[in-house]
Amino acid sequence: MELLKKNPFRDKFNSKKEAIDYFVRTFFMISAIISSSFIIIIVVFIAKEGIKPFITDNNGIGSVNLFSFITGKVWLEGTAFLSNLYGVGFIIINTLYISFFALLISMPIGVLTALFIAKIAPKKIAEFLRTVVELLAAIPSIVYGLFGSGIILVFVYNFAKIFGIQSKGGNSVLATVLVLALMILPTITALSEVAIRSVRSEIEHGSLALGATKTQTNFKIVLLSAKSGIFTAAILGVGRALGEATAVSLVAGNARSGPSFGFFETTSTLTSTMLQGLKETVGIDYDIRFSVGLVLMVVILLTNLMLNFAKKRVGNINVK
Amino acid sequence: MSNKRIRIDRFYQFMTYSAASIAVIILSMIIIFVISNGSGLLNFGLVVNDYHAKFYNGGIDNNITFSQTERPESLTSEIYYSEKWGIGLIEEENREGNTIISVEYIDIDSPLRNMRDKNNDNNSLSLSEGSIVSSIKFYDKNSALTIHGAEHMINELDTSDDFREIVYSSLGGGVRGSIITTLYIIGLTLLIALPIGIFTAIYINEFAKKNRVTSLIRSMIEVLTGVPSIIFGLMGLAVFVPLTVKYTQADSANLLSGSLTLAVILLPIIIRSTEESLKVVPDDFRTASLALGANHTQTTFKVVLPSALPGIMTATLLAIGRIIGESAALIFAIGTAIKDDISIFGKSTTLSVHIWSLMTDEPANIELASTIAIIILIIVLVLNLIVKLIAKRFTKNFG
Repeated sequence: MELLKKNPFRDKFNSKKEAIDYFVRTFFMISAIISSSFIIIIVVFIAKEGIKPFITDNNGIGSVNLFSFITGKVWLEGTAFLSNLYGVGFIIINTLYISFFALLISMPIGVLTALFIAKIAPKKIAEFLRTVVELLAAIPSIVYGLFGSGIILVFVYNFAKIFGIQSKGGNSVLATVLVLALMILPTITALSEVAIRSVRSEIEHGSLALGATKTQTNFKIVLLSAKSGIFTAAILGVGRALGEATAVSLVAGNARSGPSFGFFETTSTLTSTMLQGLKETVGIDYDIRFSVGLVLMVVILLTNLMLNFAKKRVGNINVK
Repeated sequence: MSNKRIRIDRFYQFMTYSAASIAVIILSMIIIFVISNGSGLLNFGLVVNDYHAKFYNGGIDNNITFSQTERPESLTSEIYYSEKWGIGLIEEENREGNTIISVEYIDIDSPLRNMRDKNNDNNSLSLSEGSIVSSIKFYDKNSALTIHGAEHMINELDTSDDFREIVYSSLGGGVRGSIITTLYIIGLTLLIALPIGIFTAIYINEFAKKNRVTSLIRSMIEVLTGVPSIIFGLMGLAVFVPLTVKYTQADSANLLSGSLTLAVILLPIIIRSTEESLKVVPDDFRTASLALGANHTQTTFKVVLPSALPGIMTATLLAIGRIIGESAALIFAIGTAIKDDISIFGKSTTLSVHIWSLMTDEPANIELASTIAIIILIIVLVLNLIVKLIAKRFTKNFG
């Protein structure tokens, strides 16, 4: 009894069970804190490394000018490791330009497919198509890249020949746009389908009762009612397009200057630039990757904020 | 209904049909492309062979006994055979598409089974079937090289009684190292990510109070899903690589840093999937267990968690699929050096990064890359179908 009374847990807990509860709870809480802290770790460490080229003198080369970095039209003037004249302005424009066109191709196809799966197709075909879309979403990006460099590059190369343009083996804006369009298609389709299915049936019935045909209802009422969800699908699609790396790096052609607006010109994105020449592990050419990563994070964040703002302006019809 | 309306409706309908068929066309095109390019190299040897060919320089002693075995009848007409040396050679194409001369048959009595290692006199070498002969150098005449063909090589051998050196190698281009790495990475990553992910999900769903801190934790985890994998790769390079170099024997990017990076990528997937399966367990179960005198811990582990097991299984399978497919993050966190000897503290490539390495080489090796892609596709697609099956069969209806 004497021992039990001195046990410090006795003051705090009424029983052994409560003590166990307390420890298990604390242990789980630590896991949760670890899980949630990674986003902070990512931002802090990439920012720390990414800012280095701008605030240190990079072992005598001199610091990189932030303004010319953001607005630059050439990736690197001078020799690697010996120059501080880096620029990503054109790469930012390339990235946004490519993502926009990828979305422009993917959006109509994805939304129409979603409409077909949700409203038009018989149950079995809908189930089959849903599986196809899920499998497309599950294919790793490197396989899309392989497909892109094996099929799409050849297609683009021959397509460019028709116009009398000699493209660099097909590596071009068009090839990158097509590969990205393929990759974001399953995302857009799956999310649009959820949005379309959650449209209230009363709205549909009302439209049908007023004499509209089934097709008219689908296109004019259902799609309109689901526009908020479809917009969300577009936002996630753009997010994926902006951050996609390996597939893009295999078909972009890695232009060192730009921006490239012509469809058969070689191009480069923020991600493909980061994957270029990963040989050295010290020095400015290594650190600058983190700066590009930082720029990518800012670009994705700003694009998301802008699109979410636009989504609010588009407005919402009560769908649930 | 007017005819015009019907025509317009038909047109709109047709648009949805064609849009939907595009998804099917893309999937079949990808599968057909990968299979037509890669199936030629798909065999058992690819899976068990090393990527880097090992080269040997063999020499013979002066007083050798020749084999003098007659040509075995099992050898086909494409094989050139030397009775004197007891060796059958054949011309083949290797995984890069170049012509090679490989040893198709070698007799038990062949002197080539007992050679000196020219690089290390204490070693003895034995030419084995499947080896690639790149040249045979003679004392008194020109060397017999691969470009002269297998027939020439056999003729030269037959007309001489000795040679200075035979250079041969194992058949490279295999993916054994990358497969082992992938398995290591899957094991390590799940070992790290599963406990943390499941515990986090349990905490958020079972223990935490419904307040602002909990919703902050939840949204911070949710944000991770929107971060592109290349950013995770940079994080791995900036955080986990220095960390593992400091505390383990590793001296650069290694399998451990790669696994840690992947674990962070997988956390939100595991947490969300586990949470969803915890959510469907009705509160009646919990209150009944608590009313019977069990504490929170017992309730969680004995009542709630067993019901959530299919969800955790789904999460694990999805995670494996993601690990196998991940490339951008691993290029930074492990590196792109293709290795045959795998150590947890060394560099290596998973199958996906192996593809990337092959495709960024000059010239790109699309055939071998497609073969690896077949392996990846089969695993990933089967995993996804299993997940679908689990979802159908085990989704409990607690009503």
